[in-house]
Amino acid sequence: MNDAVFVLTLAAAVGAAVPIALAALGELLAETSGVLNLGVEGMMLIGAVMAFQVGDATGSLWLALLVGSLAGALFSSIHAFLCVTLRANQIVSGLALVIFGTGLSTFIGKSIEGKPLDTDFTPIRWGFLADIPVLGPLLFDQDPMVYATIAIAIAITLYLNRTKAGLAVRAVGESPGTADTMGVAVAATRYVHVMLGGLLAGMAGAYLVLGQVPSWSQDGTTAGIGWIALALVVFASWRPLRVLLGAFLFGFARRANFWLQGEDWAPDIPAEFLSMLPYLLTIAVLVVWGSRDLRRRVGSPSALGVPYDRAER
Amino acid sequence: MIPFRFRLERRLERHWWQSVLTPLLSILAAFAAGAIFLLIKGFDPITVYRELFKASFTSKFGITDSLTIAVPLILTGLAAAVVFRMNIFNIGAEGQLYLGAIFGSWAGLALTGNLPTVLGVAVVLVAGAVGGALWAAPAAVFKAYFGTSEIITTLMLTFIALFLMRYLIFGSHSYWRDNEAANFPQGKKIPSSARFELWSDTRLHWGLVVAIAIAVLVWVIIRFTSLGYDMNVVGSSDAAARYSGIPVRRTVIMAILISGALGGLAGATEVAGRAYALDPNGLELGLGFTGIVVAALARYNPFAIILVATFLGGLRNAGVALQGLPGERVPVEVSLMLQGAILLFAIGGEIFTHHRLSVSRVAEAVAT
Amino acid sequence: MSSAVEAGPGASPDQPAAIAAINVTKRFPGVLANDAVDFCVWPGEVHTILGENGAGKSTLAAMLCGLYRPDEGHIERNGLPVRLRSPRDGLAHGIGMVHQHFRLVDRFTVAENVVLGDPDQTRILDYREIEKRVAEIGDQFGLPIDPRALISNLTVGQRQRVEIVKMLYRGADVLLLDEPTAVLTPPEVEALFTTVRSMTSEGKALVFISHKLGEVMEISDRVTVMRAGAVTGEVATSETNQRHLAELMVGRPVEVDTRRGSATTTDVAFTATGLTVLDAGQTVVDNVDITVHRGEIVGIAGVAGNGQRPLARALAGVIKPNKGRVTIGDNDVTGKGPKAARRAGLSFVPEDRLGTGLVPGLSLTDNMLLTRKRGFFVDRKSARAEIAASIDAYEIKTPGTEAEARNLSGGNSQKVLLARELAGLGESGGPQAIIVSSPTRGLDIGAAEFVRGLLHEARQRGAAVLIISEDLEEVRSLSDRMAVLYRGRIALEGRTDELPFESIGLAMAGVAEEETA
Repeated sequence: MNDAVFVLTLAAAVGAAVPIALAALGELLAETSGVLNLGVEGMMLIGAVMAFQVGDATGSLWLALLVGSLAGALFSSIHAFLCVTLRANQIVSGLALVIFGTGLSTFIGKSIEGKPLDTDFTPIRWGFLADIPVLGPLLFDQDPMVYATIAIAIAITLYLNRTKAGLAVRAVGESPGTADTMGVAVAATRYVHVMLGGLLAGMAGAYLVLGQVPSWSQDGTTAGIGWIALALVVFASWRPLRVLLGAFLFGFARRANFWLQGEDWAPDIPAEFLSMLPYLLTIAVLVVWGSRDLRRRVGSPSALGVPYDRAER
Repeated sequence: MIPFRFRLERRLERHWWQSVLTPLLSILAAFAAGAIFLLIKGFDPITVYRELFKASFTSKFGITDSLTIAVPLILTGLAAAVVFRMNIFNIGAEGQLYLGAIFGSWAGLALTGNLPTVLGVAVVLVAGAVGGALWAAPAAVFKAYFGTSEIITTLMLTFIALFLMRYLIFGSHSYWRDNEAANFPQGKKIPSSARFELWSDTRLHWGLVVAIAIAVLVWVIIRFTSLGYDMNVVGSSDAAARYSGIPVRRTVIMAILISGALGGLAGATEVAGRAYALDPNGLELGLGFTGIVVAALARYNPFAIILVATFLGGLRNAGVALQGLPGERVPVEVSLMLQGAILLFAIGGEIFTHHRLSVSRVAEAVAT
Repeated sequence: MSSAVEAGPGASPDQPAAIAAINVTKRFPGVLANDAVDFCVWPGEVHTILGENGAGKSTLAAMLCGLYRPDEGHIERNGLPVRLRSPRDGLAHGIGMVHQHFRLVDRFTVAENVVLGDPDQTRILDYREIEKRVAEIGDQFGLPIDPRALISNLTVGQRQRVEIVKMLYRGADVLLLDEPTAVLTPPEVEALFTTVRSMTSEGKALVFISHKLGEVMEISDRVTVMRAGAVTGEVATSETNQRHLAELMVGRPVEVDTRRGSATTTDVAFTATGLTVLDAGQTVVDNVDITVHRGEIVGIAGVAGNGQRPLARALAGVIKPNKGRVTIGDNDVTGKGPKAARRAGLSFVPEDRLGTGLVPGLSLTDNMLLTRKRGFFVDRKSARAEIAASIDAYEIKTPGTEAEARNLSGGNSQKVLLARELAGLGESGGPQAIIVSSPTRGLDIGAAEFVRGLLHEARQRGAAVLIISEDLEEVRSLSDRMAVLYRGRIALEGRTDELPFESIGLAMAGVAEEETA
């Protein structure tokens, strides 16, 4: 393959896929427990702004990543409280989380807007493997978060399908009344998984400002990735490994302008139209994979979005 | 063990004052929560809040400016309310507003040159409503026929509308762009026959009357017509609608189109009343998203929407006024943060209009 | 009270009760569900809680298994007080409940359902070991089951077995069965009773919740009768009879059979011919022919899930049949939608009350409008007058005409629905035919009698009534003619008083039988 730009684009797409994948994996956990959290974008923004502040102040990437993730988890507990304890409408609560997250992160991040961060994740080179054409730059010369994301996806798969706790989570998402009768703590399970979802969304936001574009800006940082992640969960039929695949596809759509603008044969498409690509792709994916019938067949959790109230069964 | 047990019990009867008290308390709680963040950032919350109210609600220009922003907020609030109450979540009023502005400004530029003012403005508004409805149409059709989540599609369409609008002004020499302007790219101004008249020396325009009239119209449709009744049934239960022979798909599509048209109308009133051109910088204010807060806080009641829109319009206005405070500048975004907090508290408070907290002593009969 | 009762057979008096409720009281908003109730079961006996809908049986059972906590009084296990905060606590104390609506995850396998929430499992589940154990328990108690089967592929009877196996796997030796026979065919009921006997012979204590007197007499050693939240009597089955139990249950002498007076005409009110409905590629209604005459009640019996729902919906025009025709009077309304069917004079009371028959989020007034003709503007005034009159006639308990339907209890919402659909039935200008799914489900005996009376009156006026119900007794006591639906087909039909009970049972179970036409 002589197309160096294309290979570079593919390699960049892997990095661009990481935040989408992390956010979607988090949402997958929350949704598997039956709680729809539309607030991904808000949690990512909070994670991003907190991570940037810590990264800026300490210079430690990993500390920044940790703080960003924890901030996301803490922020998501608002949603858990409203939806699990107060049994509020999950859709409205998720939207509120986005609006509050946008406002709060912009308020907090006012002083650091546009400031660059001089530290970055260093790619890990897997020796000679990194020199394999195409596959080398794609898989064996990426930053540690790429590998961490893959590991997280595998861990979630094993957790949900093989363990006692995973069985309980799936039961809570499928039929909370049953799970409750069988002695599973429904509310606690939902809290934990909404907050794990927030943790991963916070991590996704943190990675955006630490690894992808090392600076903070409210509308530029997340640019709707949180919403794309929501669609991705549907596309992946609630399966973690398929999330990785879908995230790569969206990562590529986000970086496709890089490739197309560098090619002689490519028509001169205005930048604005290239920027629309991921959003158009999301709609297409949802229309094809998000149809009501298909969703039911492939395993949308049966109790998704329904608050659980023991007294009103 | 805690000797008390807390439980939420469904209220069988509701009182009107509960639906007023909840939003009021949530606003207070949000200001209290906002105060914490202000303190952390080193601002004096009392000064900030005092200035905020002074700027928006005490002077003639403050009040009229608040009302000016209320105009699009009433319309985006209605756009959200019409469908949210049916459990359909068109969150793309923002994008529909952009399309309303694109269509409205096109109509203003192309069609209104020789028309009397009233007719010219009407043409802009109708074009805007059509633009908004068209932009909502794909989401409506996908939802009705494939069950595709309208939440994500309407939002994705918002991003696409945003890039489209930027392209028309910044990325190309389109019909909308003022190609004679030498410096920064900007939209072509619409003729005065397509503009709302202003109220004396203020920035407030006749769009306010239009917005209020539309709120009344929406109330009449929902409350008294068969279309409104069908929407209520579909919103509460698909199965009941099918059982009674109400066309579910048509009703869903209709509702989303109405919602989109209201969003588009908001864009058109901005063009005809404030911006006078397709002006991305003047339109990308998140008016569509704030509409969601307006609708939720007004508990989807058209008349309450007028009040809440005025209040949130004032809050937004004040953000700018705060820049004039001495010392370090309070970010404009404080009003955005407060909005989000108000909405969260309103949602939390909502449960207490449907339920009451019952506290009972746990029976101490058994010693384990 | 319990001290006055003698030990049942199989129980030894010097042994403490396996489980007992001591003076328990439970309140819900506006309802005293259990009022100072005493109840106990000894190991090795079957003790039935008998009572009509709303008598408090399920609430008592829910407290015994830990689902609810008593407001006053307490629960004892083997003579010691226990505090059950959740069903998990109940299971930990060896108390398991089989709910009327199964608590199974449809997308899980049998084995996954059995170990769900089991604290004794290893962190990483060992399915091979679990499946072995499930099969063993099945063998021991006569509950054959494939541990790897998906619940969604099982019949109702098989699912019930899974529920019982689940409790036995978790070591329950007190089992509460809530209306276990309601969903079973007569042969399945026999199999269940065999299992019940094998469990009591192992020393397990069984609580059986029922309102069916025949079964209660057959399976239980002792009976506690409840009415309006209080215990009205506790007797050994050997010392009582059905009539006595019925009086304790209702509080006054009851007539067992309410049917009759044949008014059947030959005037056809509505027919279905060759009706076939496919759902997701499966034939759910298979070539069904039905004719209902004016002045006649026809009943359709069958175990749940044998095509009742799609049949009713296709007849009423809610779904389009894939084949066949529906005629109401002289009008062919096939596939023309519910409004056309109503215009032709057909009313319809669907199976799901709240959510299909009634709109949960709308007021009672607005719910009256649901099946009325509506112009450009809706006419709330006449609807309000209509519901106000119905509230009096049906004794509907509601804060008012503007209360949301979702706030009504099951019985009251059923009444609102019936009031709307029965209005003017058989009168000139009103509907001439009606399809009613489970007409008296969820009603107390008084209201059920009232509804039966209305249906009979309408029939006398010449209305055609089609009743579709899973409650065989209801079908048998109401209808002039009846049919049995099995896997979407009419397996048996004939005059109700000419069909032997055994043939009906076999037809419901799908055992091939000569058609008694």
